[in-house]
Amino acid sequence: MNAAKMHIKYKLILPLVFLLSGIMLYPLIFSAWLSLQDYRLTRINDVQFVGFENFGLIATDSSFLNAMGNTIIFVLSAVTFELVLGLSLALLVQKLVIFRGAIRSILLAPMFITPIAVGLMFRFLLNSEIGIIPFYLLKFGVSIDWFGPELALFSIVLIDVWQWTPFMLLMFLAGLEALPKTPFEAARVDGAGPWLTFISITLPMLRPVIVVAIIIRALDAFKVFEYVFAITRGGPGNSTETIMYYIYQTGFRFFRMGEAAAASILLIIFILLLVILLVNLSRPKVTK
Amino acid sequence: MGQVTFKNVSKSFGSTNIIDGMNLEVHNSEFLVLLGPSGCGKSTTLRLLAGLETVSSGTISINGRDVTELEPRERDIAMVFQNYALYPTMTVAQNLGFGLKAKQIPPKLIKEKVNEIAYLLGLTHLLNRKPNALSGGQQQRVAIGRAIVRKPKVFLFDEPLSNLDANLRLEMRAEIMKLHREIGATTIFVTHDQEEAMAMADRIVIMDNGSIEQIGTPTEIYFQPKTFMVAGFIGNPSMNFIKGKISNKMEISMPIGRIKINALLNLGEDIEVGIRPEKIKLADSKSKSTEIKVTVLVTYVELLGPRAVVKMKHESGQELTSVIEHDEIESYKVGTEINISLASQALHFFPKN
Amino acid sequence: MIVSFENRLLQFIGIMAIFMAIIVVLFPFFWIFLESVKPPSLGGRPDIWRFELSWENWSEVLLNSSVPLNIMNSFFIAFITVVISLICGAPAAYAFSRFRGFQGARYSILAAEMMPPAILILPLFLILYKLELIDSRIGVVTAHLTFVIPVITWFLIGFFDEVPKDLEDQAMIDGYTRFQAFYKVILPVVRPGLGAAAVFGFVLSWNDLFYSLLLTGAGSRTLPVAIASFWTFRGIELGKMAVAILIAVIPVLILSYFIQKHLIKGIGGSGVKY
Repeated sequence: MNAAKMHIKYKLILPLVFLLSGIMLYPLIFSAWLSLQDYRLTRINDVQFVGFENFGLIATDSSFLNAMGNTIIFVLSAVTFELVLGLSLALLVQKLVIFRGAIRSILLAPMFITPIAVGLMFRFLLNSEIGIIPFYLLKFGVSIDWFGPELALFSIVLIDVWQWTPFMLLMFLAGLEALPKTPFEAARVDGAGPWLTFISITLPMLRPVIVVAIIIRALDAFKVFEYVFAITRGGPGNSTETIMYYIYQTGFRFFRMGEAAAASILLIIFILLLVILLVNLSRPKVTK
Repeated sequence: MGQVTFKNVSKSFGSTNIIDGMNLEVHNSEFLVLLGPSGCGKSTTLRLLAGLETVSSGTISINGRDVTELEPRERDIAMVFQNYALYPTMTVAQNLGFGLKAKQIPPKLIKEKVNEIAYLLGLTHLLNRKPNALSGGQQQRVAIGRAIVRKPKVFLFDEPLSNLDANLRLEMRAEIMKLHREIGATTIFVTHDQEEAMAMADRIVIMDNGSIEQIGTPTEIYFQPKTFMVAGFIGNPSMNFIKGKISNKMEISMPIGRIKINALLNLGEDIEVGIRPEKIKLADSKSKSTEIKVTVLVTYVELLGPRAVVKMKHESGQELTSVIEHDEIESYKVGTEINISLASQALHFFPKN
Repeated sequence: MIVSFENRLLQFIGIMAIFMAIIVVLFPFFWIFLESVKPPSLGGRPDIWRFELSWENWSEVLLNSSVPLNIMNSFFIAFITVVISLICGAPAAYAFSRFRGFQGARYSILAAEMMPPAILILPLFLILYKLELIDSRIGVVTAHLTFVIPVITWFLIGFFDEVPKDLEDQAMIDGYTRFQAFYKVILPVVRPGLGAAAVFGFVLSWNDLFYSLLLTGAGSRTLPVAIASFWTFRGIELGKMAVAILIAVIPVLILSYFIQKHLIKGIGGSGVKY
């Protein structure tokens, strides 16, 4: 019986293990190997082992550092906006008595659609010649070049906020619904106002959900590619070049696969460190 | 048909022993109740017999056939779970017939048998409903029906009545016993409710910490508890215990007095002396050598309808609880001292381990 | 109940804020729709609100472009990806949920889910190149499996965790093997969860640009890649782009409406705290 039971538990996971080894584990190892080679798509028969040279090249490459910097600014500002907006909207929507389901469905819509469509929609809406938003802003005397050198990264952040605030909303609505009612009733009996209730009851109880939402969203925001690809292609200059776009460029426009692999490995290490940091920061402190 | 034997059965998870060297013989057609506090291993015993857990050592056999290594489906048993475990996606009829389907019985025959069982349990009008459209009692009936439709050698019940309200519980208890009389299959019933155990069992197995404390008929368990644990666990309010020492041959000294008994004891040994609350009587004027007369202070009287529970305290600090009839209540006034008598034949003695 | 003026004001501000949010969400869709039904000659004119309704863009895109082929490709790829993911993911998720010793595996699934595509695309590209699977739908399926399988498995672990173990115990006592108990009793119970996970996986595959962009060619191009190529600064392609965007977006919005309530459980998973 024991042997048979062991058997089935491994039988059940066998297809998954087999498939993931083929399509994830093997490519990962391949990627690590690749990062140590001078591997160019243009010279596929002339691959040379170069050790950690690629890492050296990347680490001193100003455009890699620029891409990293852009990405970090992007992730920080996008996630912050989305967190604040999502939480506020969740609190408002939760209080609604009528149309709550319908309004929730509308507000969640952006997170389900393909990011490239979002990117193109906003490229169209914000375009300084044919976009409706600059057109009407101009009527009020406001002239903004949304995709100019100063604002381009910020505009990309705004687009991300449009698409992904709904994710935060989804998480927080669920989190709020799951909270027990009695502490809120107790607070009302104790005479606490809405602000005090929010700070001292809602926020602490919602904390685990907030942390999970931030981690998921931040990791996802690191992968930002579509908006950049759809709108700016990294420009003007390289002011909106993100790390994903950098890897795409290096590997598939300049055909330097080895360096791109090294960059992707640096990215994954960075993300890993970030997750460890976030998880540690979010652990409730034990008071003695 | 359905003799069950546990031989030296042990079960451990990691380093914790859940069941420790259990030996148990369940007779054919017997209604056996496994009783004990939570965590005593009674449910695990049942699951070992069902084949849902594997034994760490020892053997289990049903009707002389060693089933230790067999899958649940090969053991010819049926089980009713505490939360009924009805298949939520199937109708009542499909739930009842699912076990028969596994045996590849022709659909027509399955239908016949299902109808028969449904009639027996009064479920006929519910056959096409899904479980979540049934009341707790109805779900319970379906779970029982699903067990008996297969005519297994052994029925296992894992606290099946604990999710029902009090009235329904009594009703289902009677129904299960009636079914057992009619079908006559060996039944093993796990509960933590001693009243349920007393009412239903042919024999009760009292378990504690993974081993058997005592096996006996309800009468034996109540009147001749073999261990301190059984004595304390069975009965409500529970037995009074008084610490004593063997001070002399055939004499025990306790804080509340001495008593002579007709048994040979080891001098100097510590002992627990127990007496059931209902055996504590008011002392009368006649004095006998086979009783202790004690003066105690009445500290608390709690009326429970026809009877009352009285808490008393001896000057040594020893507390005693007694159960009295309502018409005696005048004699027990809180704050007064009364004389009570403990008859030696009502005392139980448990050597201290 | 007495509501103070201050409370009413707060309430009003709240409702206005929600109203604003709804407009911000809906306006881009609305404008894109308008663009799609403008006569092509009026495309890209933000000042024009009144015009003759024209289905020319729609008929151009649906009858006279590669978009129908792209839809077929996207659908085929998403469908096959989801089917393979369910076949491999469901039994494994069940095992992870029920048997001891798989705690580490749960975290591996989560880690796989978080894996940035940048690290997998390079080796996948080279492997598929060697296998001559660039510009094939099966190549894209391979790439999409790397993110759909972890998500679906993760979803299903959460759903299996919620099914009481007694159910399969009962089925095994009723005469079935563990595997029969899994597919005859447990799978039907989690069917709503399976459906939600499948829809979510489908949407993820349908929406992907990155892998498809690099692994497809003319024959296997998916809808997102096709949309991306509509924006050319040369011609008046805006109307057609609007049509293609709507075609990519509308089915997903309809599908996702039905799985919203399952999403939370899926994303949060169960049994694993951050």
